[in-house]
Order: sequence, then structure tokens, then C-alpha cells
Amino acid sequence: MALHQRPPHHVFILPTPCDQHNPLFDTVQSTENFVLQRTKASKNQFLNSFLGTIQNVFDTKQAPFRILFRRQVHAQALMIAEAESQKNIDQAWTWVQDNFIVGLNVLDDAQEKEEWVLTKIRSLVTRADKGTDDITSDEKVRSASRAFRQTFNVLPSERLVSYYSCSYHGKMMNQGWMYISENYLCFYSFMLGMETKIFLELKDVGDLQKEKSKRGVFADAIRVVMKDSQEYFFSNLFHRDETYDMLVQLTTLSMERLLRNTALEHAPGMSNGDDSDSVKDVFSVDVDSLEGGESPYLPAPTTRPLRLGLEEQKRDSQFQQRFSLPASEHLMEESSAVLVHGEKSEMYHGRLYMSESFLCFICTEAEPCMLALPLYTIRRVERMNSRTAMYALNILTWHQMRVVLRLNGPRTQCEKFCTTLKTNLKLQVRAMRSLKPFLATCFSEALLADRPDVSEKDSGLGWIFEFPGDPKKLKNKSKTKLWLQYFKDNGRNLTMTKVTTFPKLIRVGLPNKLRGEIWEACSGSLYLRSMHPGEYAKLLKDNEGKSSLSLEEIEKDLNRSLPEYEAYQANQGINRLRNVLSAYAWKNPDLGYCQAMNIVTSAILIYQSEEQAFWTLNVLCDRLLPGYYSTSMYGALLDQTILEHLLEKTMPILSKHLKKVDVQLSVACLPWFLSLFINSMPLVYAFRVLDCFFFEGPKVLFQISLAILKVNGDELLATRDDGAFMDVLKKYFGTLDDSAFPDSNNPKARALTKFNELMLVAYKEFESVTPELVAELRRNHQLKVVHNISSFTKRSQLRNIAPGKFSKDEMGVIYDRFYSALFYGRSSQRGNGKQGEARALDATTFASFLGNIARWAQVEDDQMDHDDNNTGPGSPNHRRRGSTSTTSTAREHRRVVGKHFISRLFERFDDNGTGLLSLQEVTNGLGDIIHGDLMTRMQLFFDMHDLNKDGTLSRDEILGMSESLLFIFRFDDGDSYLGAVSNFIRNAFEFAEKVDAVKKAEEDAVTEAKEDSDEDKKEDAAEKESSEKEGGSSAPTDQAASTAAEEPEIQMSLPSFRMVVLADETLERFFDSGFANSFKLLEPMDRQKGLFAREVFDSLLSEGRKLAGSIAGGIQNRGNNHKVNNHKVNQKHLPQASASTTSLSETKAPEADESKSSANADLVESRSAGEGKRASDKEDEEETEEAAEDDGEEDDGEEDDEEEEDGGDDLLDEVEKFLTEFDQKGGGKQDLGLTSATEPESP
Amino acid sequence: MKPVQVKLVLLGEAAVGKSSLVLRFVNDEFQENKEPTIGAAFLTQKCRLEDKVIKFEIWDTAGQERFHSLAPMYYRNAQAAVIVYDVTKASSLVKAKSWVKELQRQANPNIVIALTGNKADLVSSGRSKSSSEDEDNQEGEENQDEEDEDHGVTREVPTEEASAYAQEAGLLFYETSAKNGQGVAEVFTEIAKKIPLEHVLSARGRGASSSSRVDLQTGGGLGGQQHKGVCAC
Ligand SMILES: Nc1nc2c(ncn2[C@@H]2O[C@H](COP(=O)(O)OP(=O)(O)OP(=O)(O)O)[C@@H](O)[C@H]2O)c(=O)[nH]1
Ligand SMILES: [Mg+2]
Repeated sequence: MALHQRPPHHVFILPTPCDQHNPLFDTVQSTENFVLQRTKASKNQFLNSFLGTIQNVFDTKQAPFRILFRRQVHAQALMIAEAESQKNIDQAWTWVQDNFIVGLNVLDDAQEKEEWVLTKIRSLVTRADKGTDDITSDEKVRSASRAFRQTFNVLPSERLVSYYSCSYHGKMMNQGWMYISENYLCFYSFMLGMETKIFLELKDVGDLQKEKSKRGVFADAIRVVMKDSQEYFFSNLFHRDETYDMLVQLTTLSMERLLRNTALEHAPGMSNGDDSDSVKDVFSVDVDSLEGGESPYLPAPTTRPLRLGLEEQKRDSQFQQRFSLPASEHLMEESSAVLVHGEKSEMYHGRLYMSESFLCFICTEAEPCMLALPLYTIRRVERMNSRTAMYALNILTWHQMRVVLRLNGPRTQCEKFCTTLKTNLKLQVRAMRSLKPFLATCFSEALLADRPDVSEKDSGLGWIFEFPGDPKKLKNKSKTKLWLQYFKDNGRNLTMTKVTTFPKLIRVGLPNKLRGEIWEACSGSLYLRSMHPGEYAKLLKDNEGKSSLSLEEIEKDLNRSLPEYEAYQANQGINRLRNVLSAYAWKNPDLGYCQAMNIVTSAILIYQSEEQAFWTLNVLCDRLLPGYYSTSMYGALLDQTILEHLLEKTMPILSKHLKKVDVQLSVACLPWFLSLFINSMPLVYAFRVLDCFFFEGPKVLFQISLAILKVNGDELLATRDDGAFMDVLKKYFGTLDDSAFPDSNNPKARALTKFNELMLVAYKEFESVTPELVAELRRNHQLKVVHNISSFTKRSQLRNIAPGKFSKDEMGVIYDRFYSALFYGRSSQRGNGKQGEARALDATTFASFLGNIARWAQVEDDQMDHDDNNTGPGSPNHRRRGSTSTTSTAREHRRVVGKHFISRLFERFDDNGTGLLSLQEVTNGLGDIIHGDLMTRMQLFFDMHDLNKDGTLSRDEILGMSESLLFIFRFDDGDSYLGAVSNFIRNAFEFAEKVDAVKKAEEDAVTEAKEDSDEDKKEDAAEKESSEKEGGSSAPTDQAASTAAEEPEIQMSLPSFRMVVLADETLERFFDSGFANSFKLLEPMDRQKGLFAREVFDSLLSEGRKLAGSIAGGIQNRGNNHKVNNHKVNQKHLPQASASTTSLSETKAPEADESKSSANADLVESRSAGEGKRASDKEDEEETEEAAEDDGEEDDGEEDDEEEEDGGDDLLDEVEKFLTEFDQKGGGKQDLGLTSATEPESP
Repeated sequence: MKPVQVKLVLLGEAAVGKSSLVLRFVNDEFQENKEPTIGAAFLTQKCRLEDKVIKFEIWDTAGQERFHSLAPMYYRNAQAAVIVYDVTKASSLVKAKSWVKELQRQANPNIVIALTGNKADLVSSGRSKSSSEDEDNQEGEENQDEEDEDHGVTREVPTEEASAYAQEAGLLFYETSAKNGQGVAEVFTEIAKKIPLEHVLSARGRGASSSSRVDLQTGGGLGGQQHKGVCAC
């Protein structure tokens, strides 16, 4: 029997409640526990294929096949699998039968059965198939992804996470689809001919709220509030909570990126003069890290659905959080189990988890019991025979402690658990070896072995300089004794089980010499230290002698950390502090060093060794106080907001009073949180708070803070301003030693200090402040806080920018677009953040910046087509030379031209040539264009295309200019711009100075140009046409004719360029206002594709043809030359462009409708010309020249028709061939222009 | 006489001596190793003038750049500000200037601002000769550093430069030393004098006319400058 057969991929889903008796479904098979169903419609092939619009293809709300799990505890069934095909569902069904039925029969309890099935399915969905994606089974997501891309204009690298059917409440209800991708939340519906599209950037989401729809009856809605207060309401979400969680998770990720991106300082801890390589990947939480190192540009089909990755990430982080495990641990197995432990063989029922290096158990009953056992501390595992469970593991730890684990669940599952355990244990050999030296550094070992102590290197400063407080008063001895007993009963350091007495021992305060180690054990830094032996020393050694901003900041504060403690008046203390702080700054250069870290670290160092303190600092910054010490300090600000919220909820009167007298709570409380009360309370008490904090997490800070406010409530209510407010609290901290009830008759009560009272109030009255509540409040408030920070950053950065003539609003837009480009730019190419890059655009991000303010600068990526075509790997795409490829080739060319233009603009903007544009440089550059005048803009264009900087435009350069113009004009309405550009080329060649007769040409140009500009513009075109016809003998045409043979280089100076521009109305308008106005700063840019997919396609096609026509004239002969010259890149073909673009102006004369076909005709012409000639270079050139002339003069409607009839596919094939060749040339041409344009052609 | 409350905020780069200045002014003492300020500290001190008693409510803020975003919380509604830089550190004046800019745009429009170059003792105490040299002789100074580590610090901000800037921006200007007390009382007294009483009485709000700024530019800036001229050289 195929018991170990792998489950079919992507059929199983996270168990979702659903109705078993759905009229749309027929039951096909059923067993006691499972049902296989299919939709009624799915039999109807006709209906299936008859699904209208592109959108509707994916509008299969439910897959046709599904498997349900019949719950015994609930009327609603759970859907566990769905599939598009009979085959897939059958596979799944068989698998379910094979793997579940036996196990289910063993279990009696309905609840247990359900739990077991759910666990199994969940882990299947989220983990089983990492990296081995079965492409075909991923069909639904892929097609949805395609629809998403076709509808919304997103980068090819953007990945769809999930999509849901839902309604959007706009002016009316629209039923449609919500698409959630890494960066966007989109909605699309097409109903009754009306299209509704919503495109929201997740980074701009300000708040997410779960709502009820239909007058609060159905909990199926989500309200999205953007940072500009725009609201969007979505309902009818089947999986509302899942959708919500997903959005929260994604907005959190983009928020974290936003923070990194806009921070005022960037990576202050990075070594001065270091370059990018030394930066380790700090984007550890990035979505991308979820797919094992694949290229972000890889189109979606080959990677597994992002949603699963996110799901997994969430599960793992909850797991890590619960057991204080390192971030490198992932949940691998999970089971219900019984733990038998201790002298009295106490039994605890609970759940057992396994990750790469840990076996974790948590009791699910009232009795607290928790164990996170590193696998490398396990000496032996035996399987025992047990009556009550199929599997019982007898585990012997390094400390000779025995733990028995009884796994509940069916045999297969237990076997799998054990197999994984075996595998994982084998991988621990190295870690096991370093265990002994590690344990030598633990004071608990010394204590138990009755050794005097650990070495000085492994102990805190307190060992040398005494511990704060009177040890007698602190009852240090008896506390130590209690712990000794606890260690004997429950294990110590790495193997310690936390049972009922543990929290009690913590709350009475830890004994001095054990304090450091128990902090480690509670916070989980013990695991980090034991798993990374030597890393601390290595960090220091590797970075010895380097400097950084953070190091300077640290140096300033070394003498200013806990100065009242003796060790910090001496080198010994100072050196330790310096080492720990710098090591952390090297480890996390993005954070570096924040004031307050010195205070916390110096306090910790009294009880912990350098290495201990270093890892504790890691846990503090990464997990316990996330974002507190970051450059934006958003974590600290967030928790202040939460504190205010909690105050309002728990002490409304005080909260109201503070608002009334305008006192900001954080003025007093922020330092408490940042330095963990260390410089607010007397040290002994601050350490008591720390004891609890390391064990119970940040919720303790809230509880203590609220208790402080509560205890002082009456006095605080009497204050009128923040001065008085601060005074009350300062005074209170000074009296923590005093008796809380000095007048009481009861001596016990009298003995209670105010600190005791504070702790009582904190735990009793604010019991409701749980870690879960804190986590939830953080989630709810984080977006607002981050947006506040980024708007603050915006203000303060804009203050330091010289705005030129831009208004405040315009500057705001430039700023937003600037950082938006950085935001999205970084997401697609993470990991290579150079210093300073966080606040500057490189060439790529500049292009996307420009695309966001000027439509013409939107250079679409071709990877979209790519994506679609590649759906079947190895499918012979090339066989079908359809219009798609033609279009994309034309687009490819346009892309090249566009990119060159934009990159030259980038160079222009880059004043200091650093290859990076600061906000100021971008502002200046844009200002020059937008606020310049006709002359400056013409100069700009001239300079940009004068590639060799010789002050004149050569033939190549003129052609380059015309291509740029075509590129910029491509979205303009109508075709007039084509005429303008072809006029431009012709006039440019006419008026440009021939190298061999510069003088004469110059004179000619001047006089002619004068005439030209004097003439009425309307007559201009006609005039030119006629002049061209009669020009058979005149100089310019002579030149054109002779170029083929002699190819004298031409030069166009700036004045002639100006004249050429001014001679054409369209061009003049463009340089006078059009170009400047093409930058839209205040009007919203339409980032969404305005057209329905089909139309997009059509318009691209026709646009492509048009463009093909416009450039083919210029390239036809290049194509020929190319063939003849055996693929040698040759400049000689270039001159013909002048003649061939003439043909362009001719062909475009007919009505707009025909422009398409005439453009094609153009190409056909050139083809015949090309095929005809297979002669020597010279001949070929002459003849093609003729052919080109033919184009101009003999082209007419008749021929067009003929060719059209001749055959569409052939034609397209040819077009494609030409364009492909041109592309190759086109690319090369630009390079040539740079290198050899100055050299005149040999006559 | 009933004291008039004036909210004053201290701003400036980390470790320039803001907290030390306040401590000197409030307690007339100096601590060599003052802990960095986290968030902000709050102190009060009265200042007696001939015609009024002013009670300063002093907000001493944290200097590190990343605390910057908290500053508005402290300078909102402030009627006076002392912006501190370190005369031995040129970069601290740059930061000071950016604070001035921010306050002039963002804070109470009538705010009285004083620019203070602290740690003057490091460049003048008993070494006036060399301190005049070191403006153009960096290297020589460094050599002296080694001999005399307590005072071997170069002045990086010439008095003239800072005072010219202060005058231009309409600020009071002093060079001070929290260590020996030089100029400290004067800063606060001068501010107390310049606080337009009528605005103070109209409370801690923002609704005040703009006359005080003019006041400041004509009298205060110059007076401060002359005063400093005496003690610095
Ligand atoms: N020689 C000398 N040292 C000073 C003077 N003022 C302050 N210091 C020293 O400079 C260091 C920093 O002083 P603080 O007053 O803490 O500086 P701060 O500006 O409050 O620093 P932050 O709170 O971090 O922003 C301390 O070591 C002081 O002893 C001074 O006038 N002369
Ligand atoms: Mg301070």
C-alpha cells in the first residue's frame, strides 16, 4: 500500500468551513469522515467553456471538485481540498483514504480526530512541497495572476499573493475580484458594461478594520483606510479573516520596507568607506526571502504560491515567539502529546512541536509547563512500549534528566515525527561537540558542581565590582538556594523546564550571580549564544580598526553610561561596554547604535559577560523591543501610542484630564520604555522589572507603566501642565523604598515597600494586558504611526531642499514619487543597497520615477508577454509567429530607444557624476526643464543627443534625436507627430552642414531657414512636399542621392537645430510647452491600464505596426546591408535613412485607418528590395537607394492592397524578421554612435 | 511677585552639553559624566529680573539624530529655545543651524532663540595664546593634544562665524562653558529679558503677535555679541 506516497500538490487547501449540502454540488463519493463532491455545472462542458470575458475565465468561484471533512463536533463541514480536474481530485481522494482512514479509526474522540486532520492538512499545505512546484497544478493562481497583470499595470516582478471574490461598495455595489499582491490591493469588476477598478498601494494603507455588512449582520467585510483618509469598503468576503490577516501581514512587510526606505539616516553602523558587499542581507523579513533564493524576475509559474510562503512565515514566527527561539527555527512537526517529567513523574497534556534544532512542549491545561529542548542537549532517545500511546519516547538529556514524551495520534504520524527527529538529531553533531565548553560558562553548572565560580571572562562586572543593593536585604542567599533546588528538579540552563514555581521565583527577584543566566534562559538569548559559538569574538576581530558613524556615537556615550556604577569609572567596564555596543552595530548596521542602548547594555553587563550581553542585546532589539532603537524609533513611538490607548481604556478619567491640560503621556513614559526604567527607578528595582520583562516580554512594561500612573492617579489629576506631571513621577520614583503602608498596625503590611505595591497593582489590576493584546494593538496602530513618521521625515527633508520655482505642493509630489520609486525599486532588487543609495535614485529607479510623472517615460516591460507565453515550459512558442511577437519586437525597439533617452536624461541630471541622483539633483533637473524656456529645452535636447560632445549633431545623432522624439510622441493623439518627425529628419539633413562644404551649407541653411520661418506655417507642409519633388536636382536631394556612394558626414549646429525645430509647428509647440507640460506633478497619473485586456492588446498591435512602419523605412536598407555584409555591423547603411523616412511622410498621407496597411506596404517594399539584391556592397547600396526612392515616389494604395491580399502571415513573418534584425542593429548602432560617429566615412 | 512661566527647550547635537548647561543653570554644578538624555528631561528654575520673576520650565532634549522626530513634542508651545553647539566640533554648528531653520518654520512664531557655543573652557582656559593659533594651525595643535590631553582640543567654530550667523538669523548669541559657568547665567537672563511679557501672560498658546521677533533682531542679537566679544578673547 502506498502509505508513504507523496500527497498531490496544490489540491489541499487550508481547512475552510463550508456547507456540505450545497445545491450546486453533487456528492460523488463519501466515507464516514470525508465527502468528495463535484459541481453540477462541471458536467456541462458547454457552460464551462462559455465563460465570457477574460475576467470571467477565472470567475470560477468554486473549483468544480472538492473534498470535505465531515466534522462531528460541528454541523458545518470543512473543505480540505479543491481541484480543477477529476484526475487531481481522485489522486487526492485516494491519498486521503490511504493516510487518514486508519488513523481516524484509532482515535475515538471527535475533537481529537478533527484536530489531527486539521494539523495534518495545515502542515501539508504550508510546508510539504517546498521548492518542488508542480507547475500544472498551480493553474488557478497562475490564471488569476495573468488576469491581474492584464488588468493592472504592475511590474512583471510583482507577484500575486491571493485573490478573493468580493463586493466593493462604491456608488453602488459591485461584485468582482479582489487581488492582493506583494505591493497592491486591487479590485476589479465588470458588470453591466461598467468597469470598476481600484488600485491601492499597500504602503499607503493607513488602517484596516474588520467590519460587518448588511446593517451589521454579516461579519464579512473589511474597511481599508488610506493615509489620505480615503476609505474603501469591501464585503461578501468568504474568507474575511484570512483576507484580513493576509492584508495585515503584507502591509506590515511594506511598512517595514517603507521605514528602511525613508529613514533620515541610512545604515549608520556601516563601516566608513565600505562598499555594498559587506552588508549582509538585512531584508530577512522580506517576502522574497520566502522562496529559496530564486531570481525575483522569474515569472510566477515556476515558483510556488506566495500565499503559502506567507502562511508559513506567520506560523513560524508565532512558534518562535512562543518558545523564544531563534529566527532560524521553522516548525516542522506538530503533535498532541503527554510529557512525563520530574521525580514524581508528573504528567502534562499538551502539544509537542519540532523544528530543526528544538523539541518544544507546551502544556495546554491549566498547569503551566513549558520546555524548549535544544536537540543538541539530547544524549539518548529510546522508544518505549506504552499502553496509552502508540509511541513513547524516553529522552535522556545531557544533564542526565529524563523526560518521557508520549505521542498521541495515529501510527503513521508518530512514525513521521520520529523519522524527522532522527534526521534532525543527526544534524546536531557539531553543536553537540561545542556543548561542553559552552556549559562551562554557565554559572548554574558551577553552582551545582559546587565549583567556586565561572571564569572572569564569563562573568559579569558584578563579580568584580559588586552588585547593586545590599545582598542581605535582597535575600540573595536564600534565593540562590531555591534556584539550586529548582535546577535539580527541572533541569538548568539549556534543558530547564519551566513549571509552576518558575514565574514565582522570577517575581521575587533573581539572585545576583544567577540573574544573567536566567535572563538568557528566559529571553532565548541562551540558545543564540550556544548555537553561535565564537561569533561575537569574530565580529569584533573582523571589524577591528574600522570606523563608522555608530562607532563615533558609541564613543561619545561610553563615559556617560551608568556613571554611578564603579566599573564605568574604569577601563574595564568601559571596554566591555564598547565591545558589546560596537559588535552589535557591526552585526546590524541598519540600526547601528541608539542612545539608551548604552544604558541598557551597561546595566546588563553587571550580571552578564560580554558575550552574554551581546546576544541578549540581539534579542532585545530584534524581538522584545522591535523597532525601538531603529533610526526612526517607530517601535518606541508605536508602544507609546498603545500605552495612551490602554490608559484611555483603563483609566478614562486620568486620560481625559491629561488631554484637557494638554500633557503628552510619552513625555514622561518614553524614557521608561527606551531604557527599561533603568535611569528612572533606583537600580535594584529596575532590575526587578527586568527580571519580569525578560520572562514575560514587553507586556510587563505596559503593566508597570499603567500601575505607576494608577498609584499616582490622585496627584496626577491635580497637575496642570507637563512640568508638574513630571515632578510627581520623579518624586514617586525616589520613594519606592518607602513603606507603602507606614501607618498600618500590621507589621507585614508595613514591611511592604512602594515597589511591592507597584508590582501587585501591575499584575493584579492590569492582568488583562496580555502579550496577545499587545501584539494585536501593535498590529492595529502600526500603520498610523509609520505614516506619521514618514510625513515627519518628509517635512524635515523638504526643509533642506532648495525648491527652485516649484511650489510646496509640487515639491511634495516630487518627494513622494522619488521615494515611491525607491520603494518599489528596492523591492525588486533587494540586497544590493549601497550606502547612501537609500536616499538616491540610480538609473533604474530614476526611470520608474520618471514614468510616474510623465506618461511618455513609461517604458513598459515586455516580460508580460513573456510570462504568458512561457506558461508551458518547453512549449514551442516560436512556431506560432503571431502578431504577439511582432508587437513585442516593436515594443522592444521602442524600449531601447526610450531607455537610452531616459538614461541620457539621467546623466544630465547627475551633476556630480556619482551615478546616483539625490532629491535635490532631481528637483534641479526637473526645474531646468519645466521652468526653462524654449531655448533651454532645445539646448537640452541638442546636448543630450550630441553623444560625442562635439557641439554638432552628426547623421547618427540626428537619427537618434528623431527616434527619441518618436518615442516621446508615441502616446499623442493622431498622427501629426509622425509628419513632424519626418519633417524634422528631412529638414535636418537639408539644413545640416556637410562636412566637406560646411561653409556653403551653413549659408544655405541660414537663408533657407529664414525663408522657411517667414512662411505661413500652414503652407509649410505642402511647400516642403513640392520642394522635395522638384528637388530631384537641388542640393539637398543631391546630397541624399550621393550619400549612398560617398557618404559625406553631416553636422548640424545648435542654431540650425533651432531653425529646424522652429520650422515645424508641432515641434515648436513641443519645445515651447509640450515637453514641459508632459511632466504631471499635480494631476494624478493614471497608473492603471485604462483599457480592457483585449483592447490593450489590439491597440498595442496597431501601435506596434505604426511604429514598425515609421522605423522600418529607416531600417529597410540596414536590414539588407546587414545580410549582405555577413552580419558585420556597418555604418554605411545609415545614410539611407534620410530617403526612407521621406517615404514615411508619403505613406502617412492617407486617412488614419490606412496608416496601418501602408506601413506594412512599406515594409513589404523593402523586403522585395532586399531580396532582389545580392550583389557587392556598392551595388547594393546604390540599388537599395533606388528602392528607397521608389518607396517615396511610387508607393500607392494599389500596391498596398495587393500586398495585403498576398498573405497576412507571410507579411507578419517578414515584418518580424526585419524588426528583429533592426533590433540587433539598433542596439549596436547606439554604441557605434558613441565610439565612431566622429570619423567621417571614407569616400 | 507672581512668577511668569516660560517654557524653554534645549536643542542641539548629542553631547554638546545641553544637559550640563541646564544643570549649571539650575543647580550651579557640573558632572563630568552626565548620562545622555533619553527622550527629554524636565527641570525648572526661577530667574529674577528687575521688573519680573520668570520661572523657566526647561525641556532638555536628546541630541542623537534618531530622536529628532520626537523634538516637536517638546518644542511645541515653547516660548524660548536654546540651541547649543560645541565650539570644538564644526558639525555641531551645522546641526544647530538646521534646528534654527526648523524652529523658525515649525515652532511658535514668537519664540526667542539663543544660539550657544558651549565648551568654551576647552579652547580658552589658560591657553588663550594657543587657541588663537589653532584656527589655522591644525597640526601643531594635534601635537599639543598628546602633551596635554585635558585641554588639547581645537576650536573648530570661530566665534566670528557663529556670531555673524546668529545676527543674520536674529538670534541671541553666547559662548558658554557649563564646566566653569562662563556665560551660562547670561544666556538665560538675556532670554528672560527678551520674552515679551504680554505674550507670556496670554498663556502658553500660540496666539501671539509678531512684534517680538523684531524686538529680538534689533537689541538682543547685538548685545549678546558684544558681551561674548569680551569674554572669548
Ligand atoms: N569641558 C567641557 N565639557 C563639557 C561642557 N559641557 C558638557 N561637557 C561634557 O560633554 C559631555 C556631554 O554633556 P551632556 O550635557 O550630557 O551633553 P548633552 O548635549 O546633554 O548630550 P545628549 O543628552 O546626548 O544630547 C559630558 O561628558 C560633559 O561632561 C563644557 O562646558 N566644558
Ligand atoms: Mg542631555
